[in-house]
Amino acid sequence: MVEVTVDQLTRIEGHYRITTQVNEEGIVTEAQSMGLMLRGFERFLQNQDPRDAALLTQRICGVCPTSHSIAAANALDQLFGVEDAVPKDALVMRNIHQSLNLIASHATHIYVLWGPDLANPAYRTLLENYGDTGKAVWKELLGRFAPISYRLDGVNIPAGRGYIAALGEKRRLHEAISLFGAKMPHSVAAHVGGVTYGPTVADIGQLAAYYWKFMDFVENLALGVSPETWIENTRFASSPQKAVGFVVDRLQELVDASLVSNDFSYAAGWGDVPLYAAFGSELVGEEVLGLPVSMKLDRIGGYNDPSKIGYLVYGLFFKPELGDGYDPTCPPDSRVIPPGFLNGNLEFQKFDHSKITESIAHSFYVDSESDRYPFEGTTQPEPEPDEIEYSRGVESRYSWIKAPHYDGIPCEVGPLSRMLVMKDPLITGLADLFREKGYPVTNTYLRMLARMQEILVVSSELIKWLAEDLNPNGTFAVPTDLSMAKDSEGMGLWEAPRGALGHWIKTGPNSKVTLYQAVVPSTWNLAPRNSAGVPGPVEQALLGSKISAAGNALGVDYTNPLSILHTSRSYDPCLACAIHAIDLKGQQKGQFRVV
Amino acid sequence: MIGERNLDRFKNLDFMKMDRRTFLKAVGALGASLFLQTYRGDIVQALEFAETRIVWVHGGECTGCSISLLNGGEPDVLQAFSRLNLRLAYHEVLLGQQGIYVDGKMEGTSELNSEILFEEVIAEKGYILVAEGAIANGPKGTGKYCFLGGKTYKEIFRRAAENAAFIVAVGQCATNGGVNAADSEIRDLMDFRGVAFTMEDRDRGILTGYGLEKPVININGCPPHPDWMLLTLAAVVLGKIKVPDDLPYVLDKWLRPKVFFPPDHVIHDNCPRRGYYDKGEFDTMVSGPKCLWKLGCKAPYTHADCAIRRWNGYHSLCPQSGSPCISCVSPGFPDSSRPFFQEIEDVGIVGTNIDTVAKVAIGASLLAAGAHAIRRTAIKDKHEGKDEKPEEKLEEKLEEKPEEKPEEKLEEKLEEKPEEKPEEKSEDAKKDQGEE
Repeated sequence: MVEVTVDQLTRIEGHYRITTQVNEEGIVTEAQSMGLMLRGFERFLQNQDPRDAALLTQRICGVCPTSHSIAAANALDQLFGVEDAVPKDALVMRNIHQSLNLIASHATHIYVLWGPDLANPAYRTLLENYGDTGKAVWKELLGRFAPISYRLDGVNIPAGRGYIAALGEKRRLHEAISLFGAKMPHSVAAHVGGVTYGPTVADIGQLAAYYWKFMDFVENLALGVSPETWIENTRFASSPQKAVGFVVDRLQELVDASLVSNDFSYAAGWGDVPLYAAFGSELVGEEVLGLPVSMKLDRIGGYNDPSKIGYLVYGLFFKPELGDGYDPTCPPDSRVIPPGFLNGNLEFQKFDHSKITESIAHSFYVDSESDRYPFEGTTQPEPEPDEIEYSRGVESRYSWIKAPHYDGIPCEVGPLSRMLVMKDPLITGLADLFREKGYPVTNTYLRMLARMQEILVVSSELIKWLAEDLNPNGTFAVPTDLSMAKDSEGMGLWEAPRGALGHWIKTGPNSKVTLYQAVVPSTWNLAPRNSAGVPGPVEQALLGSKISAAGNALGVDYTNPLSILHTSRSYDPCLACAIHAIDLKGQQKGQFRVV
Repeated sequence: MIGERNLDRFKNLDFMKMDRRTFLKAVGALGASLFLQTYRGDIVQALEFAETRIVWVHGGECTGCSISLLNGGEPDVLQAFSRLNLRLAYHEVLLGQQGIYVDGKMEGTSELNSEILFEEVIAEKGYILVAEGAIANGPKGTGKYCFLGGKTYKEIFRRAAENAAFIVAVGQCATNGGVNAADSEIRDLMDFRGVAFTMEDRDRGILTGYGLEKPVININGCPPHPDWMLLTLAAVVLGKIKVPDDLPYVLDKWLRPKVFFPPDHVIHDNCPRRGYYDKGEFDTMVSGPKCLWKLGCKAPYTHADCAIRRWNGYHSLCPQSGSPCISCVSPGFPDSSRPFFQEIEDVGIVGTNIDTVAKVAIGASLLAAGAHAIRRTAIKDKHEGKDEKPEEKLEEKLEEKPEEKPEEKLEEKLEEKPEEKPEEKSEDAKKDQGEE
């Protein structure tokens, strides 16, 4: 048995370690997910004006600040008792704000944080075994996904075309947000009772211009076909089989032409999504399309035991057709991307926020009980340096991340869960296909494809909100007064790009904050073991993976554990978010439950 | 765009022959993008300069400063780096490498293993160290609250700092502790530090703790504007600012470049809503078009060029989007700005914040805030036919009796001022709105 540790896992936010035990065949037999830092976020909101939360909590994360500011604003709406009065146009503005941030965050993750692993030298070695086709594919991978300051064999490699283009798109999407949110990161629009700015007709026109500019990128570099065509035939396909069929047919055309020409360039129609969709998967690439080689990302990152995993979505984007106000408990079908829970066999259950608990059995916190509702948490960070030790194994406490559950089950959150709960035909159809053919139903390949698909799904909603739903002459906030927040409580459920996000707040008689709690996506995904010893989602997903490139096709290389990198990064880890939460023992008087 | 308007003033100047003052003016007025475009030819010459390595480290932070850097305009940050011959030698969010340990030993080469890369880069010395994020000193001085690659960040930062030519601290967390060091019951337990300061306290900067003396430039802001970061690096790389000789002249007492954080300019001076302020028209709820003073705007005492430079494509700044300035460039942020949505005078001299470490910032800010209060009174008086200019009077008084503490004087002055009737004013505002 060899211990392979990735520390730190770079190209994420924050500081994160994964320690694995790997057997002689190069298969992971045990994995530990460790958050390595502590922050003090919710504590410094206590005894303060609750309205500051929408601006301050977004400082949890510089990549998805918008999600935190809107989750906080949602919680404040209920705290101030105005959740049923927030004007429709303010809700549409929150949708637009969030969707722009989500698209920018996904694009950054796909190209800048995750993508560079596709230019890992192991793929050069692998592809060199496949003649001119292999060489042509490697040229594309390196030319598109090489990161800044990249070197191979002492030679400086220029940053990839996709990488550079995605940075430009992220920059422009942030500019679009600044039209109504002043700046990014840490924009200002979200506020209790609405938003701070009503856009002018000129702003809307400019936003649309940014949108179409981004769609050019999607068409020319990402997809190779028009986004409208893609969405019509996947998102709005009449069945999951039809959606998969559309993509496979499109890929087959490309493959048939390119296996002859050995041209896999953008010019030949190989956008980044088709290139990934074909070469990322053994099932799609090798078995269906007849490619000679693939990265076999559909063989890794799945869950072995369906009874120990679920997929959770709180719901995202208000429905403009429902008018002013919204229900903060997220009942079924109340959001554009609907709330819901899928068990390990992808069976749907209605979402119920009261089923959320957090375990600290393997986390560096001190408490008499190990499982609590987040809003009843009475935990304290371990104050003794000698107790903070990361190498004492899976039985010990080993992370600053808590372990949240839904109905006692660790859950994956994020685009894959959202696309599955939403029953997106393409992602659902592929999951069905993987199950049918004996592959992990969900896997690293599908997790990334779901993120790509979500950009398309959300984009098609965004233009509708901008062009049809938003009324520049509408109302953008309702008046609020601090006295409305006396002895009150509020819950803000939302979705960050990385997954389900909840903020909970409670105030005292002087309207000052007495409790603030945030349960964030990376806490779900990167959780350590719970009090029953059940590993968290990433820990489960690494089990059974062959650690090196393409299912150890080149043999086992402990020094380049590429599948661990692919899988752990596919969750888009954000440690800055995951380790925000601490409550001081004995702080809360009485129990806090949200109605 | 402000830069374009200024272009003519600078385009005939030989950039390489500019004195430092003109240089700073030029970059300040043009912004990074136009500056680099205008002087492309000169910068190509600069490529003859040796490669400058940048080591960028991350402590307790949200990565927002790196994300902001990537929002740098045309040319983008990659092009700017290339033109300035800057090499990003280490940056854990952007680089291809990661730390890999096999049975506890670092394995592979620096092309794949970031831990080996870090060791190699540190050993070379002479790089610019960019620090993002606060340094955890807790619990009990061990720094174990922030750990990476089997070491505390406190230790990593110390080693990186020792071998650096100088340090650029970017963002509030690195400059002053920021949100990590905000007032709470566990602040002392966590004990997050800034590089040269913790909040306003220079003695509690982590460098003091190490007993290490290195030149430091602070680029404040939550996050900092990409121009502030890129132009500072450009000015140093091109030799226009000599470190450390020029630093006493180009930095303020918080070690911030005066060109971006001008001591004689506040955001309020160029606020797009300034006209409403001058007319005495104030919004009392968000989403309106008017001055945000009554919603707690801190722009009148915030020294930064946000209103001239503007953000993200040079579009906007917080008050333009209807949200009060929260003075995120102030050393005491966020404590010195909280509560965000209450008018400064409501908080008062003995308000919530005065007991915090933010005392100094509020004290200084009161001078400006008080002056504005009086100015508004003056406007009101004018409306009533009086012709007093109390703001000038205050200045006179301050000049006459420099030995007096300005705060005290101000208190007197505030007491003297005729009583305000804010309700009346907001009614006027409503009327005006109705007429529109």
